[in-house]
Amino acid sequence: MSVKTYVQAIRETMRDEMRRDEKVFVMGEDVEVLGGIFGATRDLVKEFGPDRIRNTPISEAGFISAGLGAACAGMRPIVELMYMDFALVAGDSLINQVAKTRYIFGGKARVPLVIRGQQGVGRGNAATHSQSVEAIFMHFPGFKLAMPSTPADAAGLLRTAIRDDNPVIVIEHKALYITKGEVPDDPDFMIPFGKANIVRSGKDVTVIATHTYVKKALDVAEKLAQEGIDVEVIDPRTLVPLDIATLTDSVRKTGRAVIVHEAHRTGGIGAELASQIYELAFPYLDAPIERLGAKSCPLPFNLGLENAVVPQPDDIVRAIKRTLHLKEA
Amino acid sequence: MANKVIMPKQGLQMTEGTITKWLIPEGESVKKDQPLFEMETDKLTITIDSPFDGVLLKIVRKEWETVPITEMIAIIGQPGEDISSLLTESPAVSGISAGSNQAGSNPAGSKLAAFQESFPSKMSGNENSGICLPKNSQDSSFVTKSGRILISPRAKRIAEEKGIEYSQISGSGKDGMIVEKDLNAYLSVKATPLARKMAGSSLFSGISGSGSNGRIRCADLTSTSQQEEIEPDTIIPIAGMRRVISENMTSSLHNMAQANHKIRVDMSESVKIRAAFKSRDESVSFNDIVIATVARALIEMPWMNAVADDKMIYRKHYVNMGVAVAIENGLIVPTIRNADRKSLPQIHEEMASLAKKAKKGELSKEEYSDGTFTITNLGMFGLDEFVAIINPPQVGILAVGAITETPVVEKGSVVIRPIMSLTLTYDHRIVDGAPAAKFLHRVKELLENPYLYLL
Amino acid sequence: MKKGILATEELLNIYEMMNLIRDFEMQAVSFFEGNVLRGSVHLCIGQEATPASVCQLLRPDDYISSTHRGHGHCLAKGADPGKAMAELMGKDTGYCRGRGGSMHIADVESGNLGANAIVAGGVAIAVGAALASQMQQNGRVAVSFFGEGATNEGVFHEALNLASVWKLPVIFVCENNGYGISVPAWQSTSVKDVSQRAQAYDMEGVTVDGNDVMAILPVVKNAIDKARSGGGPTLIECKTYRWLGHWTGDPQPYRTREEVDDWKKKCPIKRMRKALLELGVSEKEIGERERKAKERIDAAADFALKSPEPDPAHVLDNVFFEEEGIR
Repeated sequence: MSVKTYVQAIRETMRDEMRRDEKVFVMGEDVEVLGGIFGATRDLVKEFGPDRIRNTPISEAGFISAGLGAACAGMRPIVELMYMDFALVAGDSLINQVAKTRYIFGGKARVPLVIRGQQGVGRGNAATHSQSVEAIFMHFPGFKLAMPSTPADAAGLLRTAIRDDNPVIVIEHKALYITKGEVPDDPDFMIPFGKANIVRSGKDVTVIATHTYVKKALDVAEKLAQEGIDVEVIDPRTLVPLDIATLTDSVRKTGRAVIVHEAHRTGGIGAELASQIYELAFPYLDAPIERLGAKSCPLPFNLGLENAVVPQPDDIVRAIKRTLHLKEA
Repeated sequence: MANKVIMPKQGLQMTEGTITKWLIPEGESVKKDQPLFEMETDKLTITIDSPFDGVLLKIVRKEWETVPITEMIAIIGQPGEDISSLLTESPAVSGISAGSNQAGSNPAGSKLAAFQESFPSKMSGNENSGICLPKNSQDSSFVTKSGRILISPRAKRIAEEKGIEYSQISGSGKDGMIVEKDLNAYLSVKATPLARKMAGSSLFSGISGSGSNGRIRCADLTSTSQQEEIEPDTIIPIAGMRRVISENMTSSLHNMAQANHKIRVDMSESVKIRAAFKSRDESVSFNDIVIATVARALIEMPWMNAVADDKMIYRKHYVNMGVAVAIENGLIVPTIRNADRKSLPQIHEEMASLAKKAKKGELSKEEYSDGTFTITNLGMFGLDEFVAIINPPQVGILAVGAITETPVVEKGSVVIRPIMSLTLTYDHRIVDGAPAAKFLHRVKELLENPYLYLL
Repeated sequence: MKKGILATEELLNIYEMMNLIRDFEMQAVSFFEGNVLRGSVHLCIGQEATPASVCQLLRPDDYISSTHRGHGHCLAKGADPGKAMAELMGKDTGYCRGRGGSMHIADVESGNLGANAIVAGGVAIAVGAALASQMQQNGRVAVSFFGEGATNEGVFHEALNLASVWKLPVIFVCENNGYGISVPAWQSTSVKDVSQRAQAYDMEGVTVDGNDVMAILPVVKNAIDKARSGGGPTLIECKTYRWLGHWTGDPQPYRTREEVDDWKKKCPIKRMRKALLELGVSEKEIGERERKAKERIDAAADFALKSPEPDPAHVLDNVFFEEEGIR
C-alpha cells in the first residue's frame, strides 16, 4: 500500500498499463507537455513520447471517433476528455458510434476504448464545466461506466477499464483529484466491474452515494451514529454493470434507502437505482426511497449559489431521518 | 332519484346532533314519516321520521357520530341506484364508507366513532374473536378516507411473516403509515405467540404477564378477558346531552367567579300554606313555594335575575325560572316562563308537566330555553345543603336542601322547627356579596313571612 | 498483360465487381418492392466505379469506412454478397446477424469498419484506424468513403485536420453524386469541387470523373502509395451520380428525368465495358464476368431468402464483449 492522491493513482495506473502493453496510449487535449489540466498525464510524455501521450486538436468528435477507429484496428486508446461536459460536443461519436459499434456489427468488433475525464462542481467552473453526465452513459447501452470515489478505486477501476475489451467511460471528479488514500502497490490491482463497495456497514438506513458524496455520506453516518442511527454507505463504483444485488441486499436489511449524487435529481441515476430497488425489494421498504441530487437549474458560478443547487450534508441527514420517520426530519 | 337525508336542525340553537340509533337497517325500505333514526341534541333525544319513501341505500353517518346540521347522514332512494355522485358531492361526506371512521370534518365525532369502534362487543357486536380488550384506537389516522390501512411494504411483510394483525396498530409514518418501528413497539411487549394471536390486534396495556420475565401468557389474557366478562365496565360516550352538560359546567366554572352564601330558613309558614292547599284538595309542593318565592324576590332584586356575557349584563324584568330536573342519563332544566306572574297551583301544574316531559325527553326547545335564574333541589335525597354550579349565562343558582326538624333557639328557649338550608351561588363578576346576601335574605324573609306578599 | 496501372485480369475484376454491385442493388430493389426487405435501403446504382476501383487497389488488410449508401464499398472490399443480402433482410446469417441492416454492414475482419448511418460518422473512424496503423507501423492504409453532404459536417473537418496534423495513412474518397437527398451540392456546399477543401488542411486534393474507372485508378493509386509511405492523407473527389432516388420511393421532385437520363448515358459500367473492349478484352470474357456476377447475386438472393431469422432470445447478446446482455 502507498498513500497516493486520486490523480496520482490515475496517472500511475496509466503509466503501468502503458509499460505493460504497448497498444495502450493516451490522447486528448493538453495531455502531452502540460500533462492534462489536472495533471493526470503529467511527465508521462517523458517516458512514452508524444506518440503515446498524444496531444489532440480541440476536436472531441474527431478524436473520440478516431479512438474508436484505432480501437477497432488493434490499439487500446485512453481518450482523455478535459471536461466530461465536452462529451456532449462528441455526442454522435460517443453514443451513435462508440456505444453501438459492437452490437450493430453483430458482435464482430471489439472496442477496447477508455474515455476518461472529470466532472462536477467545486472549482467555480460554472454551467458548462461542472455538470455530471453519468446518466447519459448509463442510459445508452454499450458503455461500461465507472465512477471512482477514492484513489484506490481510481487505480483499480481504471486498470480494469484499460484491460476491458469494451468501451468504458471512467468519470472522475475534479474535487477528488487532490484527495489522498491508500492504493495497493500490486501492478495488477484491479477492481472488478459490477461490484459495489460497502464503505460502511450499518443496519438502519442504506445511503447509496457516488463520487464526493461517498465521503460526505460517511461523515454524516459518523455524526448520526452519535444519535444512535446506524447508516450503511454503499458506493456502486460502476453504474454499468450495476451491482444491484448488493444495493438490494442492503435495502432488504435496512428497509430504507437514500440515494445521493451530484447530478441533477430529475432523471438522474438515483431515479434508475430507486426504481430498480423498488422493483426488487419493495416488500422490504419501510419508507419511500429518498433521492438527492442537484436542483433542476444549470449550475451557477457563484459558490453560494452552487452550494444551493447541489445536495449538502444536512440534506442527507434530513433525508435519512425522513426514511426513519423521525419527527425532526 | 336518490335523496340525501341530512342532520335536521331542531331548534334555533342546534348546531349539531348525535345519532343515537338508526331505526331502519341499511338496505331496508322505509316509508315517508316512518321513524328513521333517533338523535340527541344538546338537551333532547328526538326521533326523526323519514322525509322520503324508498330504500335506505346507505347510512353515511353511524350511530354515535355527532354531525353538524345539514350534513348528509344517509341516502334514501330506489334499489340499485347509483349514489356515488351523492357520496362525493361534499368534502364533508366524501370517501366515507361503512365500517370506517370518518376522519376530517368533525374531530369530536370521529373520536367518538373511534371510541365506539374500540368496543365492538359492547356496541356493535364483535365479529371476530369475542375477546374484548381495549384497542389502541386513539389515533385513527392510519385509516385513510378510503378506509385503506397505510403500512409500509416492509412493515406489511414483517407483520405477515409474524402473523401480526396490524389493522389497529397506529402508524408514525407519513399520513399515519404503519412503519417498522411501530411494529417493533408493538412487539416489544413481551407476550407468547399464542397470547398475541388471541389478542389479535390489541395491545397488551394493562395486562401483567405471569410468565418468565413478566411475559404475557395466554392465561393472563384469558383471565383479563374473563374478568371483563364478569364485571364489564359500562362505557358511556360523552355525547349529546352529556357533552353539553360537560361543556356547560366546565365553561361555567372556568369563566365565572362563583361565590356562595348560605342561609337557613324556617319553613313553618310554608308547611301551613301547603296544608291549606291540601285541605282544599289542591297539591302544592315546597319546591313550588320556593319557586314562587324566589320569583318574587328576583322581581324585587333584578341584579340576581340576569344573564351576562363578557361585556354586558342583561337584567330581566320577568322571571323565567329554571328548575333542574334529574332524568335518566343526565339533567335538564325546564323553564317556567313568567313564574313571577303565576299562582302556586299554576306553578305546580306546569312544573309537574315539565318534569314529566323532561323524563320522557319530550321537552320542546322553548320549554328548556331562556331561563333567567335556576333553582335546584336535592332535598328529596336527604341532603341538608349543597352547592350548585351556575347555569350560564345566568348569574345565580339556588341550591335547595331538605327540610328537617331542627332544634333552634327562639327567644331564649329551644324549639323544634322545620328548617331548610338555601345555598346561593352567584357570579361575583356580576353581583357583589352584599346584594347577593340581600337577595338571599329577602328569599328567607318571604318564605318565613308569606304575608309580606300582600305588600 | 498490364494496361496502365493494373493487369487486364484486375480490370476485369473491377468490371465484374461493378456488375456485382449493380446486380446486388437491383436485387435489393426487387426485394424491397416485393416487401421482403424493410427499413431504409440506399442504393448506389450509377456509382459503382469508385468502390470497385478503390478497393481493387487496396490490400485485403487495409481498412475502409463507409456510409449509408455502402453496399458497393462493402462488396468491393470483399464481402460475401449472400451475407450482405441476408443482412439487408435482417437474417441471422447476415454480417451483423440482423442487428445492423443495410446501413451498418461491417466486417472488421476484412478491414471493413462499417457502413455508417450517420453522415460523416465513419470519416474519423477511418482516421483512427489509420492512426492505429501508423502507431503499429503495419503499413495498412484506411479509406474513408463519404458523399459530398458529409463534407459539411463538423467531424469531417475534424477528421481531415487530425489526419493532416498526424500525417496519417488515410485516403478520403468523396463520392460526389450531386445531391444530399434533395439538396443539390451547389446549394449546400461552399466550394465547387469538394477537393478544394483539402487545401484548408494542407492536404492534396484531387477531383476525378467518378464514373471513369480508368481515371480513378491512377489518382487513387498515387494516394495509397503516398499514404503507405508516410506521406499523409489525400482527399479525392469522384464526381458521379445516383441514378435512383435517395431511397426506394423517392419522388425526386428536385431533379428532372432529362438530367437522370443524361447521367445514365454516362453509365460507369458501359464505359468500363467499352474501355475493356478497346483494350482488346473479348466480348466472351466480358460476358463471362457479367454472367458470373449475375450468378453470384442469384445465389446470394437465394441464400438470404432461405436464411433463418435471428432468435429474439439472443437480442441482448453482444452489447458487450464476452458478456450477457445486462439489465
